[in-house]
Amino acid sequence: MSSATTFLLTTIMISFIINIAISLYGVFAKPSLVKKFIALTIFSDSVNSFAILIGFRRTPLGYPSIAVMPSPPQSVEDLKRFVSEAVDPVPQALVLTAVVIGLAVNMFLVGLIMLYYKYYGSTSTRRVKI
Amino acid sequence: MSEMLPVIMAFVAALISIVATWLAVQERDMLIATLFSALQSTCYALIYYLLMAPDIVLVYLPVSVGILPLITIILIKKTERYEE
Amino acid sequence: MRLSDIAIGVSMAMLALLLSYLIVYGGLGPIATLNLRPLAVSFLNYTYNPWKIVYSAMSPEAVTAIVWDFRGLDTYFETSVLFIAIVGLIALFRGANVVQGVSSKGLSIIVKTSTKLVAPLILVAGASLAFHGHLSPGGGFQGGSFMTVAMTLLAIAFSIEFFQQKKLTLNRLLAIRCIGLLAIVVVSVYLLVKAVLLGGYAYIFQNMPRINSQYSMPSWFLDRPLAGILFFFNLSESIAVIGGLTLGVVLLLLREEELKAIIGGGEHE
Repeated sequence: MSSATTFLLTTIMISFIINIAISLYGVFAKPSLVKKFIALTIFSDSVNSFAILIGFRRTPLGYPSIAVMPSPPQSVEDLKRFVSEAVDPVPQALVLTAVVIGLAVNMFLVGLIMLYYKYYGSTSTRRVKI
Repeated sequence: MSEMLPVIMAFVAALISIVATWLAVQERDMLIATLFSALQSTCYALIYYLLMAPDIVLVYLPVSVGILPLITIILIKKTERYEE
Repeated sequence: MRLSDIAIGVSMAMLALLLSYLIVYGGLGPIATLNLRPLAVSFLNYTYNPWKIVYSAMSPEAVTAIVWDFRGLDTYFETSVLFIAIVGLIALFRGANVVQGVSSKGLSIIVKTSTKLVAPLILVAGASLAFHGHLSPGGGFQGGSFMTVAMTLLAIAFSIEFFQQKKLTLNRLLAIRCIGLLAIVVVSVYLLVKAVLLGGYAYIFQNMPRINSQYSMPSWFLDRPLAGILFFFNLSESIAVIGGLTLGVVLLLLREEELKAIIGGGEHE
């Protein structure tokens, strides 16, 4: 199980890196502000995915479980079993707030692009000479 | 083998997300680019689910598959649809 | 294809190769290890631990416990960042207001009827996510985002004048947002105020009894865990998120007639 799983997980992580490279290419090379905005959202999602993948783990018995107890533990053994099976909850807690805040900041960006179009009549950065 | 199945599904979703990202960046019609971006977000939601992060899935589905494409479509409606 | 595009593409490919090389050789930390990191082990141990209650959050949900108890101050300031981003949007569209009678029809009757059926269901689902955030996957941010989707559906299908007719003006949405943030502040200093009045010690963002402090929020409600402060924080946060994000969507949906007041005159080259 271990070597094949490690290979697949490494490939998933490298696919996130490729997504980061493609979306950064979109941010830098494309002239349209709307295209830059779409690429920027993909970039932030890919960076968040890194953190989630770092929080994943293997267990000796099989696939890990979520970091939520099905019911309050009755004994110390229940708690030990939960700790030995659950995934790392810290990256999830960090990404959770980052997603919602990213949405609010993206709304601000959309408002800026709208006003940019109102003033200059185009969303292309190449056509507008300030 | 049954333990491998979720990882294989996440692997396939990651490959699809690469294709969707490339098409979203290359597409000249912004509306179609937004749809490809939503497809990429769906693949990421599946990956999060298979990596045992249900909290992230619950916040990521409404935000990145629902509201972000919506405000992008509003932006496209108020500005230009085609890239030069 | 310009030369600069090719240069950017090549440099991005180099970046991807470099980061992949780092990961293959373990540069960014091991992937999918057998042992958890010590911080995660500590958090998982004390999420619901009736035997060491002075370190515990008493919530079966580890992620919500970290978000609102172990790292509560961090989340409070992140909520402030969300608030400030919405304030920036309001500053961009300052002076704009929803005008009645521009195009109050909205979408067709089929869309309106199906929205009437679907939107209450989404609202209830989001509210249940917020209420059960300390027991099952979910919480304030998730519930608020779900309910924002329902509000957005209403705003699109019935047009934004529908909100105005239901007395849900821009100022009132901002007031809902502020009430949510204020409720978070009140809940976080509640035990501190209680300790000052009754004598003794307490901390801000205190949930269960801690060392040196006897005061605590209720950890059980009837026959199921309440997790004290987490329940109230989830409710306040969902209110804050639904108010702020709905305000943002409505501001972005403003029509030409309403935007004329803030742009002033037509476009210029």
